[in-house]
Amino acid sequence: MMAHAGEAHARARWARRGDIALRIVAAIPLGYASASLWAMALARILPGDRTEATVTASLIALALCAGAAMWAFAARSGWRALWTLAAAGALAAAITWFSVQATGRL
Amino acid sequence: MSKGFRQSQAFLHTWSGMLLGWVLFLVFVAGTIAFWREGLNRWTRPEIARVEQPMRVLAGAQAFLADKAPDAKGWTIAVASAATPGAQVFWQPQPKPGEEKGRRGRRGRRDTQALIGGDGQVAHARETRGGDFFYRFHFDLHYMPVIWARWLVGFASMMMLVAILSGIVTHKKIFRDFFTLRRHRGQRSWLDGHNATAVLALPFHLMITYTGLVTLMALLMPWAVVANYTDERAMGETLFPTAPVVERTGRPAPLVDLTRIAADAERRLGSPASFIEVAEPGDAAARITVSQSPNATLNTRTPRLAYDGVTGALVWRSPAPGPAAETAGAMIGLHAGRFAGDGVRWLYFLCGVGGTLMVASGLVLWTVKRREKLPDPARPHLGFRIVERLNVATIGGFPLGVAGFFAANRLLPVAMAGRAEWEVHGLFLAWAAAALLAFALPPARVWPLVFAPTGALLLAIPVYDIVATDRGLPAMLMQGDLMIAGVDATMAVFGLAFLMIARRTARYRPVSRKPRTPRATAVRPMVPEPAE
Repeated sequence: MMAHAGEAHARARWARRGDIALRIVAAIPLGYASASLWAMALARILPGDRTEATVTASLIALALCAGAAMWAFAARSGWRALWTLAAAGALAAAITWFSVQATGRL
Repeated sequence: MSKGFRQSQAFLHTWSGMLLGWVLFLVFVAGTIAFWREGLNRWTRPEIARVEQPMRVLAGAQAFLADKAPDAKGWTIAVASAATPGAQVFWQPQPKPGEEKGRRGRRGRRDTQALIGGDGQVAHARETRGGDFFYRFHFDLHYMPVIWARWLVGFASMMMLVAILSGIVTHKKIFRDFFTLRRHRGQRSWLDGHNATAVLALPFHLMITYTGLVTLMALLMPWAVVANYTDERAMGETLFPTAPVVERTGRPAPLVDLTRIAADAERRLGSPASFIEVAEPGDAAARITVSQSPNATLNTRTPRLAYDGVTGALVWRSPAPGPAAETAGAMIGLHAGRFAGDGVRWLYFLCGVGGTLMVASGLVLWTVKRREKLPDPARPHLGFRIVERLNVATIGGFPLGVAGFFAANRLLPVAMAGRAEWEVHGLFLAWAAAALLAFALPPARVWPLVFAPTGALLLAIPVYDIVATDRGLPAMLMQGDLMIAGVDATMAVFGLAFLMIARRTARYRPVSRKPRTPRATAVRPMVPEPAE
């Protein structure tokens, strides 16, 4: 009985560690990648002068980086943090790709 | 806000603040000192008299360069002011045939630069990096490639931004907490101190962290540029336009009087010049570019004017930046605080001190909180011991290193070879000694052992200045040189503060977690922590 409870306890602890590891991956590499992709997408879709849009997009992306890290730990689970940030990044990547295909770069 | 959200952010706050907290501590200390960069540039060169007439220095700089490097490719003159030791001048020799034009790294060369003093002559001062050391260390660190250092500092800054934002979320009663300071209560007191220093200057902490990231934006977040430009230089040219490049004609022509150009630029821009660059001096094609001083504008990317070097006619002025470029420039200006006059500069400095205390108290709080939960407080686990000792080595050791730098500036022989480098080595040697101590002895004994010499050194330096130089505090006050007097007075105040902290940490006995238990029976066999 005791051994069984200890085993369950150990398993719960490893599950928690795994969850935190997923959140760290979501917060740091994925958060940066996702913010970077949004920097690209915003630089493409913000109105006005290209230089101005580029600077504005970069300024916003720095804040997105911090927001992504907060979201990675606020999400219900590590997996959810991972796939939501990946999806957000994928959306930005798609916007950038179509925009560059349509009008090219300077 | 839901309880779950707050808890998740409390976890994030603890670890994002702690993991690179030591780097952040160094960055905060160096950045806070760097607000007095110009004052320290003067303080570290006591041989040089104060600049009274900047235009006389400029005329001297032109005369010197015309004699030393008449056929140079270009000259750069950092215009002197009462806040600088003089005018730093650089010259770039004509590229040899086959050599690539405009090779980088020339500015660092000692044989192509000089300092022109207040009398318009070349000034001979002790070799030192002065206040510039703290400015560079703030983002370049030392003994490592600058790109690595900037990524490390940038990453730590992002962690700091996350720690600040998640810290705000963690606080239920942010304003009530600010007015609460429970003394002599162990963990509660540390928490109150951490909250007070964090909340007191919260707008500053948020501003300085985010704008700090903006200063490194081109390195950390280049992707928006990549999305819009095939060549990054095209972006640079539209963002920072420069006057058209001139080609040397080979026909000699005398260069116009630079003081006349500087006066004209000041009239047009409304404030003094900071840099004057001369392309192809002595040639008929010579071109002069004047940048406005960032002391007068929030945006650090100040307007520039270009003049014909022979006739002195205005030929170009930089176009006004767009709103986004203006915003980014103003953020960098807010970070560096170059626009700040004496009052605002003191506010910057005090907020920086508050930020340093916030980081330090947060790091100590990590150990204080965990110590009481340890299974055996007398024998903590390895991770705890490493954090505890790194805290002593960094929070206690780095200030000792800084004091060592200032002491080395005063005590190393003036003519010593490699003197500027040895001042910096002095900082790291003193810091290394403190770090060795931190790992050799129990932390509770090391705190007073490193704080006491820091305080003693910082107090001894102003005394040395009175006794051994003609630049002591009373003399400087009499002459009305508040900058030099202010450096000595600030050192003395910090010296006293460090001595008081040393005494406090030496006498400290840990208090129990239960506040109502009488203290005598509450002493537990644990390693004490310095606490208020």
